[in-house]
Amino acid sequence: MNGFWQRTLVILAALALGASAAHAGKLDEVKSRGKLIAGVKDSQPPFGYVDEQTRQIVGFEIDICAALAKKLGVGLELKPVTSATRIPMLEQGAIDLIAATMTHKIEREEKIDFSITYFPATQKLLVHKDSGIKSVADLAGKKVGSAKGSTSEQNIKKAQPECTVVSFETYPEAFLALKQGKVAAVTTDAPILLGIRNSDDHPEQWIIVGEDIAAEPYGIGLPENDSDFRDFVNTTLMEMWKSGEYQQIYAKWFGPDTKFPLPLNWTMEIWP
Amino acid sequence: MNYTFNWALIFAGEYGRWFVDGLAVTLELSGISILFALLLGTLLTVLRLSRVRPLVWFSAAYVEFFRNTPLMVQIFFWYFGSDPILPDFFKKWLYQQNIEFATAVIALSTYTAAFIAEELRSGILSIPKTQLEASRATGLTFIQAMRYVILPQAFRIIIPPLISQFLNLIKNSSLAMTIGVMELTYMARQVEAHTFHGFEAFTVSTLIYLSLSLLVSFIINQYNKHFLHIGSRR
Repeated sequence: MNGFWQRTLVILAALALGASAAHAGKLDEVKSRGKLIAGVKDSQPPFGYVDEQTRQIVGFEIDICAALAKKLGVGLELKPVTSATRIPMLEQGAIDLIAATMTHKIEREEKIDFSITYFPATQKLLVHKDSGIKSVADLAGKKVGSAKGSTSEQNIKKAQPECTVVSFETYPEAFLALKQGKVAAVTTDAPILLGIRNSDDHPEQWIIVGEDIAAEPYGIGLPENDSDFRDFVNTTLMEMWKSGEYQQIYAKWFGPDTKFPLPLNWTMEIWP
Repeated sequence: MNYTFNWALIFAGEYGRWFVDGLAVTLELSGISILFALLLGTLLTVLRLSRVRPLVWFSAAYVEFFRNTPLMVQIFFWYFGSDPILPDFFKKWLYQQNIEFATAVIALSTYTAAFIAEELRSGILSIPKTQLEASRATGLTFIQAMRYVILPQAFRIIIPPLISQFLNLIKNSSLAMTIGVMELTYMARQVEAHTFHGFEAFTVSTLIYLSLSLLVSFIINQYNKHFLHIGSRR
């Protein structure tokens, strides 16, 4: 019995230590651990996806995380997350930050903090080239595919109350419904639309159209109320922009010769 | 653990209405599907008990096929898989309709019909053959014997498992959200996605499903007690 209580006490002490360590700054925690754990997408080319040859997760957001880890002088560990799991995982401390095509929304500020915008996505429409749909106005009375829980789903209902939104589990399913003619368009962030369009056997049949339905600024998700860590991420992002490292990474994934050409036509917020 | 429970949020404004809208779709979907499942199930039983070999084989094959494949797969088959075999002119018209809801009704009723057919058949077979023979000997026709002697007893036996099938169907209707039907579970997920209060959202939907199922059981049992005198001692 004595041995049992002793062991229990040791375990409790260890737990208490662990808990107090978690309350110390994230920056110190990452440094003492020797690696940065990033929550990333693993099926969202070109932001984060599994490379067919190497079987490794690669992508634009992965390179951003790698730059952050390099600046800290620690290794990088990637953990795949989904839109539904990323915020709970960050809250529980399973990951140090989220770089997973996450729109910076004020509602999400209730649970976590955000870095400055590192990618300014906008919401567009993906349609068949012969469909005649050119803007949101043409969607009146038509069905539009989207994915559950996404901001796009809400935005399109506001932008075009006359359309019926059909929400699927994933964007590839919404695209399949578009191909079968069950929906007239698929709507979400333009780079994601570009990704599903280019995954098709005949990408030239599909075009991305429409005005910017909504702005979807992507920010890095950070633990709530950890100012030092957030300062580090923000200043590193700005330094990357000023040194041209950001532009290099951008060109690697969205340059004119890539599968996802998207001109760089914005400027990161740079604090003086 | 820094989760703050916020129950008021779930019922405030828009979100409360989403639950009501979702419940309405769940009720509509389940109600229509139960009706079709009962009709189709009864038809399958009649075929199975007929003496015509090909009809018996068809019915047996149907039951084995539909109850031994996952409902989710069947829903995806009806929705995505049926596309290549439909004629183009028909598709054009069909896809303008509420094809998601219609697909869910087809999938739910064809699936549940297989189970209902098996229960009806076992109910009828559980009545000893001698009763039919005795009724016929007293001068009743086959239809009269079925109507007055066999079926009233058979229905008494299968009412409890039939209730289970109704309840299963109501719960299975949540799978319709995978093809974009905005029923109760879909709405609960929407509320979760917008508020990040998953615990409250899914607790509310759980309670709605539970009350709905208990209410259905209660109503059927009351009906049986008062009109069919089942479960009451005489």
